[in-house]
Amino acid sequence: MMTTPEQPKVVRKKLFSPVWLLPIIALALGAWLGIKSIRESGIDVRVHFPSATGIDVSKTLVRYKGLNVGKVVDISIDDQLKGVNVDLVLDYRAGNLLKDSTKFWLVTPKATITGVEGLDALFSGNYIGMLPGDGDYRDHFEAERESPAIVPSEDGLVVELKADKLGSLDVGSPIFYRQIPVGNIVSYHLDEKHHIQLKGFVQHQYAHLVKQDSRFWNVSGVRVDASLAGIKVDTESIASILAGGVSFSSPDASKEAESEQLYQLYNNEKEAHGGASFLLTAKSADGIKIGTDVVFRDLPVGEVEELRLTEDGVAIHVRMDTPYSELIGGTAEFWTEGAQLSLSKISHPERLISGNVIRFSPGTGAAQTEYPLLSSAPELDGNPLKLTLHADNNPGAAVGAEIRYRNVTIGQVTGVNLAKDFSQVNVEVEIEAPFKNLVTQGSDFIVQPPVQVNASLDGIEIKGTDVGNLTKGRIDLRPGNGAALTADATLPIYESAEQAQLAQQQAQQLTWQLYSSSVAVNPGSDVYYKKMKIGQVAGVKWQAEQDQFAISLAIEHTYQSLLNERSIFWPTEALTIDGGLGGVNVAVAPLSGILKGGISLGLLDESASDNHLLYASKSLAERQSVPFTLQLPVNSAMKAGADIRYLGNSVGTIAQVHLADDLQSLRASAYIDGRFADQLLRSDSQYRIEDAELSLRGVKNATAVLTGPFISVTPGKQTTRADSFAVQAADDGIDNGNPLQLSLVRAELGSIKQGTGIFYRGILIGKVAQYQLADSGDHVVINAIIAERYRHLINASSRFFDLSGIKVDAGIFSGVQIDAGSVETILTGGIGVATEHPATAAEQLPQQFELADKPEEKWLSWSPTL
Amino acid sequence: MKPATKARGLDLGIYRCHVCGLLNDQHEQYCDRCHAKITPRDYRSLQSSWALLITAAILLVPANIYPITTLVKSGNVTHETIFSGILRLVHADLLPIAIIVFTASILVPWLKILGLGFYLSAITFKIPISKRKLTTGFHIIEWIGRWSMLDLFVISLSVALVNMGQLLDAQPAPAATAFALVILFTQLAAKTLDTRLLWDQLDKNDDNS
Repeated sequence: MMTTPEQPKVVRKKLFSPVWLLPIIALALGAWLGIKSIRESGIDVRVHFPSATGIDVSKTLVRYKGLNVGKVVDISIDDQLKGVNVDLVLDYRAGNLLKDSTKFWLVTPKATITGVEGLDALFSGNYIGMLPGDGDYRDHFEAERESPAIVPSEDGLVVELKADKLGSLDVGSPIFYRQIPVGNIVSYHLDEKHHIQLKGFVQHQYAHLVKQDSRFWNVSGVRVDASLAGIKVDTESIASILAGGVSFSSPDASKEAESEQLYQLYNNEKEAHGGASFLLTAKSADGIKIGTDVVFRDLPVGEVEELRLTEDGVAIHVRMDTPYSELIGGTAEFWTEGAQLSLSKISHPERLISGNVIRFSPGTGAAQTEYPLLSSAPELDGNPLKLTLHADNNPGAAVGAEIRYRNVTIGQVTGVNLAKDFSQVNVEVEIEAPFKNLVTQGSDFIVQPPVQVNASLDGIEIKGTDVGNLTKGRIDLRPGNGAALTADATLPIYESAEQAQLAQQQAQQLTWQLYSSSVAVNPGSDVYYKKMKIGQVAGVKWQAEQDQFAISLAIEHTYQSLLNERSIFWPTEALTIDGGLGGVNVAVAPLSGILKGGISLGLLDESASDNHLLYASKSLAERQSVPFTLQLPVNSAMKAGADIRYLGNSVGTIAQVHLADDLQSLRASAYIDGRFADQLLRSDSQYRIEDAELSLRGVKNATAVLTGPFISVTPGKQTTRADSFAVQAADDGIDNGNPLQLSLVRAELGSIKQGTGIFYRGILIGKVAQYQLADSGDHVVINAIIAERYRHLINASSRFFDLSGIKVDAGIFSGVQIDAGSVETILTGGIGVATEHPATAAEQLPQQFELADKPEEKWLSWSPTL
Repeated sequence: MKPATKARGLDLGIYRCHVCGLLNDQHEQYCDRCHAKITPRDYRSLQSSWALLITAAILLVPANIYPITTLVKSGNVTHETIFSGILRLVHADLLPIAIIVFTASILVPWLKILGLGFYLSAITFKIPISKRKLTTGFHIIEWIGRWSMLDLFVISLSVALVNMGQLLDAQPAPAATAFALVILFTQLAAKTLDTRLLWDQLDKNDDNS
């Protein structure tokens, strides 16, 4: 078998096998890796930190948006020893992030109430955060103290919020949309106008929710409205309670917001959504506070946002809720309304706690920016009659008190205030339109107390009003004379019907002026005539120049006739006891007069000398007494009230006695009966002190025993009048003229005393003026005086003997001999004198007489004709 | 003529199929049994082996320079090269393991590349070396080379098992790829080489000697 050899196939040997591509590829790969590793070798950056705490070499990484971009390769202390230089090696790709404003900071795990920040750092350890900035390239930086606000990602929407205060907002506070957190507050700062400017970040997927007309408001904390109507708690989320938050709402028809658009951050949702806002002006805030509701048909449609003092009152900022903004028209009227609490009806009790509300009637026309705030609801059907009532004191009228006529409510009190000059109280009232005509000239108003208690001796009467008025009180209208009121007439308002009556009487009263230097009565005291009240003391004034009180009396008109020239006035004494030996007269004033004091009016039969003088007492008044003064010896026991008598008839009285400055005399203010003043106040009239004298011969001035000493007066003959007299002591006549003075000597004084009488045949002819122990001490010298007209009875032959006492000599055989002068001398003592013969021509009266203890019998038988 | 025992197929006109081992006539281009291409000597294998060896040598550089694993521990990322890993084991007083890893990861690849290089050089540059030594060495290289995959095996296990996110995570780093390629290419280089060339050369040398 032949096989034809095949033509050999010449295969050209390849110079290089394709397998050599492999090392080339490997080389290329290696080279690429090498070049890459050189390229990616990292960038050295030095960051200066205040402290290296929490930074570890080769452990602490640098992160940007969660990506490791480098790590710490070295830490060294800086040259100033003020911190550390941390050398970082950053990924080569981070090279373009390193600019002038690039920031580095240390992220450490931080747990706050709202969240844990840097939680990853708990596991990875602290790391250095990095935020790229703008500017030129640089590789050394100063570390930030705190992590800067990082806008989480470029994708979201950044909004700027302007607020007046930060509240509890903080970086990280959530931004809510319908209570879904859609973003965060990333930073805040004060702008140049000292507003807070916050930067918020809304996540990308929610960015479209923010519209150009969105409203942002603060939802920090909890808003609790607690009232009787219930408790309303507004809050977004627990986190926002604690950390604050911002919520927003957006109208549908609005364009999407631009980045970094500026919004106002409102304090609350109401404010944010608030519609029309306007100003109410009022005199006072009166129960209005921030948050007070503005209600319409009892539905809250707005609230008070701000209260502010203005020059003449209070400005109240009100913001209406958006849907209700249109309610307010140009003629809207606003008024406050609180809880109406009465025993008959309680309306809106929740306002007791929540405070007043502002109500309004919508009005028409274009809305204004400012409205007055009325204190009560305007009358909707016809204008009420506005009246000003006046009273001296607030009669107890309260705002809101009803005004009634025949117990039908016709109006109410709208205000109580002081008049501009503080002279009176003005009570503003409004009378409803249908009742306008009830108020006429002469009408007055009387406050009806809730409970009226009249207690008198007749019994106690308690009158109550209907319960509805217990709290506010009620005011009754009393119609007037029917004549229409003038434009700006004011009517009186009274505390009570009595006061009204009184006032009416006062209006018709007569005024009578009195003056008195010593007697003051209180205003309001009654004036009596025959114990019947006829008027009152209207006023008392002290007139310094005249040194007297000016008292004005208001006498009721009906007693006009009592005021005439015969009228006399004296203070009503509670109890007058006119006691004398003639009997005791006890006069009791009316009971009210006892308590309040008062003035009595009396009428004389003839014209009174002075019918404007208030006498000190009735008796003075009745006598038309004329005042004068007496000077009394200092030892006279004269007292106020002592009589001045003329021949036993009382013609005057002593009102006051006081010791003179020189202690030598007493000065007495005295009154003399007006009728006798002319005769008794003559310059030579004599005034003497009279005292009671008791003797067996009779009782002299017996009344003086009861009343004390009195003054007796002897009319003078001169025509000149005096108003001051010196009073002589009581006069026994012995001292008058030129009495004989002689001395008696005796071994001892016995019962002799000053004033002891000297008797001649039982007739008083003299008295003992004084006595003293002789210088030698062995006897007593008694100075006696003998009345002038009896001096001829005494001559050298006169013998003096003691009449005092009773001498009883009793013996068994002689019997009993009783010697006694007279009974009078037994009581008072006395000195007897007997004279033997008439005086011879040349005879001198001896210097001294001996006072014998008892008369010799012959002395008693002497009976010369002298 | 040489004794039969030392006869070569080439000399006898018999080519051995290197796929199925059937002895074919030298005129046959394709194996009767398996239809593989029949060549008396694959001279190109020398060149391929060289190329693969050089590739492996090149890749050995990044395999050692670059980190072979990226370990994230508590968020802290560490890169480990082969050598730093061994050092870490040494520092951790795990010397036996360190020796094993050192042998498998560094010694073996290097030895293999050097050894192969030596053999290829011996073939290419006809360096006279004892046949027995060569054969023994070659077997050792072939046998031990597979153990170099130990490192990669550990890495792949670690990557699969240690996967706890930021807390603890292991990731292969670029050097792992390079290292795997080194092992692959050295294996290929050893496998590709037509060892008969070695014997031819040695025989000649023996003849010459």
